[in-house]
Amino acid sequence: MSFAENKRYFIDRRLAERIAATQSGSFLAYFALLRSDAGHEIEHLVNAFTVNETYFYREDHQLRCLTSDLLADIVRRKPVGESIRIWSIPCSTGEEPYSIAIWLMENWSEVDRHNIEIVGSDIDTRALKAAAKGVYGARALMRLPRSIIDRYFKPVGDDRHQIDPGLRNSIQFTRANLVDVHDMARYRNFDVVLCRNVLIYFDDSSRRVAAENLHECIRPGGYICLGHSETMSRITQLFRVCRFPDAIVYQKPEANDA
Amino acid sequence: MREVEPPHPRSPMRVLIVDDSSLVRLYYRAALERSGLAVEQAINGLEAMEKVLTQPFDLVIVDINMPGMDGISFVRSLRRSAPDVARLPVLVITTEAGQQDLGEARKAGANFYLVKPVSEESLLRHVAALTGAPR
Repeated sequence: MSFAENKRYFIDRRLAERIAATQSGSFLAYFALLRSDAGHEIEHLVNAFTVNETYFYREDHQLRCLTSDLLADIVRRKPVGESIRIWSIPCSTGEEPYSIAIWLMENWSEVDRHNIEIVGSDIDTRALKAAAKGVYGARALMRLPRSIIDRYFKPVGDDRHQIDPGLRNSIQFTRANLVDVHDMARYRNFDVVLCRNVLIYFDDSSRRVAAENLHECIRPGGYICLGHSETMSRITQLFRVCRFPDAIVYQKPEANDA
Repeated sequence: MREVEPPHPRSPMRVLIVDDSSLVRLYYRAALERSGLAVEQAINGLEAMEKVLTQPFDLVIVDINMPGMDGISFVRSLRRSAPDVARLPVLVITTEAGQQDLGEARKAGANFYLVKPVSEESLLRHVAALTGAPR
């Protein structure tokens, strides 16, 4: 993992939090602790470096683009019986993959016609645990209409809601590191990848490695959506820019039109 | 035709949804629950058989193509069960690709079929027709 210089403040802050949490007292003492990996501190540090704050139906213009343009194109080219595979990476605490599933059930008239596989991956194992549990506070649900909350969540007290077990079972949560080529080799044949607001935290070379890894994970003709402030064109030329009415997304060219 | 049953003490109407995709089960379930039906789920014909033999239902909605016991085998074994179970109405749902199996499903004893995608409106209309429920 590597970070750009302008993210220095962010790193300092998270590091200070871990030094305090482990009662190390100083960076040197904390560094010694890290090297011995007592109490799995490396994993805690990785978890602290990954930002986990998001909400349901965030960047819903991309969800609209998915159901109004992308899926129709994907289905048109897809052999009969082949699953539609959608990947949310990083998925943080699950808001995005769950949002995709809910959005499809609410807005895609063909949702029952295809076998849809949704995978949520993150480097942060703590976030993945929370995703699997699927309990959310009011802030995470602020953009969801009441009727959707009633349909897909149940209240568990304290103004918190738990996701429906059926929805939970329809998403596979796994750990994955975007810049680790071996890790990423386990993920293939995705039709749509949502990779939002993580590349901005990487330096140029990690960003390029991540983009190349993602390219390998996507089927020819498949799409990748980035965060609204990110652009693939400055990272790599492997993808083609597609401007749809609801969103700008990037497509992996098919073999015959590369 | 289904025999007319005396008014039942249990309510609401209970529907068993059998499909190997949890997203599809959830999609149908949400539609049925919205109109006040109670929904139970099974992931294939085998689990569905276990459920119909141990719990009361008013209707089974079953996909044809499933790993394990498929929808047609399920309808066959359902129709060979004890009389009160055997007469359960069955609505078969399949994709265009599975349409060639619909004749087989009917021969096995399915009451009606729908081809995916199935809209909420169509699902509820057929469920009402097969259970004799007012809408």
